[in-house]
Amino acid sequence: MSEFLHFSEHTLQEVALGFMALVYTTRIVWFLAFKAGGERQASTGPARTTPAKGILYSWANVAMPWAMESTRRHYLIYAQFVAFHLGVTAAIGLSFVIPYAPGLLVSQALVVVLQIIIGAAFLVGVLRFIRRVSDPYMRAISSPDDYFSLVLLTVWFFFALLAVPNQTSGGEWHLLAYFILTAFFLVYVPFSKISHYLYYPFTRYYLGKTMGYRGIYPVRRV
Amino acid sequence: MSNDTARSYKADQVLDRMGQKLNRQMVGSLLACVHCGMCTQSCHYVLANPGDPTYAPAYKGDLIRKLFKRHFDWTGRVLPWWVKAGSVWTDEELEELKDTVFGKCTNCRRCSLNCPMGVDLATFNRMARGLLVSVGIMPEGVAVVSKDQWEIGNQMGVLKEDYIDTLDWMAEELQDELDDPTVAIPIDQFDCDVVYSINPREVKYDPRSIADAAKIFHVAGEKWTMASEGWDMTNFGLFSGDDALGGSVAQRLYEKVIELRGKQLVISECGHGYRSTRCEGPNWAKYNVPFVMESSVFTMLRYIKEGRIKVDKSKNSRPVTYHDSCNMARSCGMYEEPRELLQLVCSDFREMYPNRTENYCCTGGGGAMSMSEYTPRRLKSGSIKADQLKETGAEIVVTSCHNCVDGLTDVIRHYELGMEVTQLVNLVANALVIEPKEPEDDEEGSGRVRASAEGHD
Repeated sequence: MSEFLHFSEHTLQEVALGFMALVYTTRIVWFLAFKAGGERQASTGPARTTPAKGILYSWANVAMPWAMESTRRHYLIYAQFVAFHLGVTAAIGLSFVIPYAPGLLVSQALVVVLQIIIGAAFLVGVLRFIRRVSDPYMRAISSPDDYFSLVLLTVWFFFALLAVPNQTSGGEWHLLAYFILTAFFLVYVPFSKISHYLYYPFTRYYLGKTMGYRGIYPVRRV
Repeated sequence: MSNDTARSYKADQVLDRMGQKLNRQMVGSLLACVHCGMCTQSCHYVLANPGDPTYAPAYKGDLIRKLFKRHFDWTGRVLPWWVKAGSVWTDEELEELKDTVFGKCTNCRRCSLNCPMGVDLATFNRMARGLLVSVGIMPEGVAVVSKDQWEIGNQMGVLKEDYIDTLDWMAEELQDELDDPTVAIPIDQFDCDVVYSINPREVKYDPRSIADAAKIFHVAGEKWTMASEGWDMTNFGLFSGDDALGGSVAQRLYEKVIELRGKQLVISECGHGYRSTRCEGPNWAKYNVPFVMESSVFTMLRYIKEGRIKVDKSKNSRPVTYHDSCNMARSCGMYEEPRELLQLVCSDFREMYPNRTENYCCTGGGGAMSMSEYTPRRLKSGSIKADQLKETGAEIVVTSCHNCVDGLTDVIRHYELGMEVTQLVNLVANALVIEPKEPEDDEEGSGRVRASAEGHD
């Protein structure tokens, strides 16, 4: 392993990760500085609904495609969402496995599983890009950040796919590309839409709390 | 916020006030949209206008979000074009924003419930309305109605004498109908179990619903009253986004109930009125309401369950369906009780699909009925509702909302569906089984009891 690759796998990642943590902390502090609205009225709706149930239901919504009409009717898009985010999780995990637990990748089975997951995410990235460019509704709501984030993630999946076996016999370029891209993402993510997962617990918490208090969550469908 | 002389005074004020309006829930919703487009097909405007992305909830939300990003979120300050952050500079731009927040969204909250991220567009769309209203930019109808509610105390400008006359008239009609001179519509009675509040539309266009409610209260033997003032449970603050108006109107109602020492405030069937009075009013007014508030739907259902009134469902034998008001179903969790009541008073109830929290707006929500400049747009968006109604095969659409009555009536007329619209109070009153009256001493029953209490005109 070259020094540059070692630097990319360790120091570069650690610095980028530290930067991301710093920016995220700042974002959360800033976000929490806004006062939360409250409810003074007595609760409404059926007795089976409560704020606590509403919050849990709201958080679990991501894993319940039947809960919302939008995911129920567009199950292929939901499936893409699942594949894409599994790929993100696998590719992030890989950035820790290679430098800190490379022995795990001796298992061919794990390599194949990771490649399937990340490969699927790469394909979804391509499909998502096509959808964002070709669908007039998607085009109308897309910002440069939306396109850039999607392209970059898709490219990152591609290099993650190549990096999974952690082999340098054919050169280091694919590992270097993967780790440099990972570091770039760690720095870029807090400024882009990709940081949505930072807000998800909060938006879903407050929506769930309100909807639970008002008797809407958990939704009853007939 | 800004000392930029190139920005109009109104635009400057809008941005200034936006900072004061933002709370954590709104900021979360403004930050979290990932432009996934999942909300798009949940909006009846989108479905009725295929190919026009300007109706897409995320697109509409972005018109507000861009201001937030540009002025309150530093990521948008650093690279505005990169994240579609932007500002407003002229009054014309504010007018364009008005066209969207008032004219392309009924705040029905359907997209909010279909957003995977939990972005509540309806909430910050209402905020945007409020910001525009604060600088005098709003549809004329909104201005007129808001003024009436501020000045006269009810949104239709009904004068006190007209209101009392209508109650008198309805009481007389009831006395004739029931052949019972003791039937009354009490006004400003103290220590009643129920203070009944209504929508001014009932006084102006649908007084029969007041008589029907009075009939039900009478048969149930309720100790009830209406207030001579502070009786309007509707609240244009919900539609205009003006929390000050919302709080003022709600507090007027609460204080009247306290003044009358009423035990419970019963709110007649009105989606936005119920939501405003029952759910939002205490928050707008920062007022802890010390008495119970309920929709008349709950009251009627309770009377039947307690055996205080008897109903015969065969009296309502024509096929009916139920339209869920957005405000009741998606903002107050009221969707089972109306169905339970309908099953008791109608013999042929047919469900509408989708329903409950997934129902489509009647097209009249968000104050749309008062914004005549958007009527063609509203009626076009009604094609979704029309299809839904047609599918049921029902002859009568029942709803618990006066705005929905008007919205649905327009849709039915425009799409020539040949259906009728009615409310639960009308069906319950029609289904009432009234026991034959005991012969009474004609000395006591000879005088007709006026609707109003003496000394309150």
